[in-house]
Amino acid sequence: MPPDITTEPAGVSRAAIELIDIRKAFGTGAETAYAVDRLNLTIKAGEFFTFLGPSGCGKTTTLRMIAGFEEPTSGRLLLDGRDVTGVPAHQRNVNTVFQSYALFPHLNVGENVGFGLSVKGVAKDEIRDRVKAALDSVHMTHAIDRKPSALSGGQQQRIALARALINRPSVLLLDEPFGALDLKLRREMQMEVKEMQRRLGITFIFVTHDQEEALTMSDRIAVMNNGVVQQVGGPVEIYERPANRFTAGFIGDMNLIEARITARNGDQFTLEAAGSRIDFPCTLPLQPGDACILAIRPEALHFVEGEAGGSVRFSGALGEAVYIGTDTVYALVLADGTRLHARVRNGDRPMPQAGAPATLACAPSAIRLLTQ
Amino acid sequence: MKKLIALYVPAATLIGYIFLFAPLLVLVIYAFNAGRSTVVWEGFSLAWFAEALRDRGLRAGLQVSVIVAIASAALATMIGTSAALAVVKRPFAGKNLFSTLIIAPLVLPEIVLAVGLLVATVWTGVPLGYGTLIAGHVLVSIPFSFLIVRAAASGLDPRLDEAAADLGANGKQAFLRVTLPLLAPAILSAFLLCAVISFDNFVVSTFVSGVGSTPLPIQIYATLKSGLTPKINALGAMLIAVNVLVILVVMSRYLKTIRKQS
Repeated sequence: MPPDITTEPAGVSRAAIELIDIRKAFGTGAETAYAVDRLNLTIKAGEFFTFLGPSGCGKTTTLRMIAGFEEPTSGRLLLDGRDVTGVPAHQRNVNTVFQSYALFPHLNVGENVGFGLSVKGVAKDEIRDRVKAALDSVHMTHAIDRKPSALSGGQQQRIALARALINRPSVLLLDEPFGALDLKLRREMQMEVKEMQRRLGITFIFVTHDQEEALTMSDRIAVMNNGVVQQVGGPVEIYERPANRFTAGFIGDMNLIEARITARNGDQFTLEAAGSRIDFPCTLPLQPGDACILAIRPEALHFVEGEAGGSVRFSGALGEAVYIGTDTVYALVLADGTRLHARVRNGDRPMPQAGAPATLACAPSAIRLLTQ
Repeated sequence: MKKLIALYVPAATLIGYIFLFAPLLVLVIYAFNAGRSTVVWEGFSLAWFAEALRDRGLRAGLQVSVIVAIASAALATMIGTSAALAVVKRPFAGKNLFSTLIIAPLVLPEIVLAVGLLVATVWTGVPLGYGTLIAGHVLVSIPFSFLIVRAAASGLDPRLDEAAADLGANGKQAFLRVTLPLLAPAILSAFLLCAVISFDNFVVSTFVSGVGSTPLPIQIYATLKSGLTPKINALGAMLIAVNVLVILVVMSRYLKTIRKQS
């Protein structure tokens, strides 16, 4: 009998962080704005968890509340099952890798990495050994006597990681740690950090606005916007089954088309979208007259000629075409002016001319119906 | 026209420098005059330096000035640094008002401050002496230490405090291990500047110094009344030398931090 893969090991299902009804308000009275609003979330021990969203969505504020740099206006925060709401940052067993690294400029690399142990009064010999081991794990032993200002951004990043991890935190917080690195170095560091997380088994909480970074590194992702969590799920779920308009539009390229239910026959819906009539199987509790949104990935669309059964079709005039190497992205202007983008592989057929009538089609299963 | 401007700038600069430094230069030159005049050159001599150092009144004044400069600079730097850190790092109500009030002695007429201090000492019955002199000098030098340390503190990355706390340092540890070492050059600069300001102060000193605590500038002024000799020039030359030395130390420290930051 194959092992039951739905059962997680005992250590993994334990909660490392529980955020219970967290709110963070800025301003007072009528001008009160919530940077984070009614956040309820459980992050499991050993998980690589990412807060993803545009700038100002509340992801960094959430991280700062977990670190203890900011206190929630209301709600509770549990760390390893213990309520740490109101506990100052220096008494929490979490460590942070800052976006700007925040290495101490007056201390050398070894002193920076040993700082946490030193303030806790750990013996000098032990500090020396652990600093060496920590620097070794990020391949920076050679820089032990140098000042942070003499190091490159990527090297400073490694020192910041070593400085945080040497304290053996139960949770490591990373605030857009790769934001200042160039693309190649960023990819390298992503791999390395992910590998390190697997090896150490520490809970990593990661904040980024880069959806690709989030998808490649995370076990689970919380997509945030305007202080509210839009969706929580694994990378595949977030990408393939976005829960609402925001997630659909934020993760990857997506066509979002306003639609209206015109008829329903059991689970078979008829929709009116951008001047086209679409038959669509769906189990959502929608009634004729309800508005909804169709979400279709550009790569799911292809050109068709004549009638093809079983697929959803959109007809219109071809707009601009953008050549991007292996593919070309075509815009199709529908009857009501909506632009539908299709990403089509090059070479199969001659490039259609702009302005020519054309029809795009996709399988009903490639369409996601969103209600909000 | 272009040529005229090209000539005007260096010429104006030169005139400006002459205006600034010619009197000092003349003063230093006549410190080495052999005769009693401060305007007629009669030959080279170091006699007036010896004379100045031998003068009991001037020596006593110098001692008072040094003690008061060190004490008042230490106090003003401590108060200015605390105030600067509060303004930069802590949120509190009335912060702008507080900042304005603390640098107010800079813009208030010093003579008004001096009279006010004298009235206050009479009211409270505090005897004039070292205490009142130091208090007065602290008052006029706090704005400088405050401004210098505030500039340096606001240049610090606030994330460094958070990083220290994140790594388990309590407030005291974070201050001693991170904030203080990073601000040390600015605090030293503030101390030296405050010491120089105290050393040079005349107006406040005139009002609040007592018998036996007459600082050097007032002592010099008293000497002038009994006739101007190159002795004063010699003393002036020595004071310029000390001041220039202090400024060089401050500047070299300052340049070092600037270079480090860039």
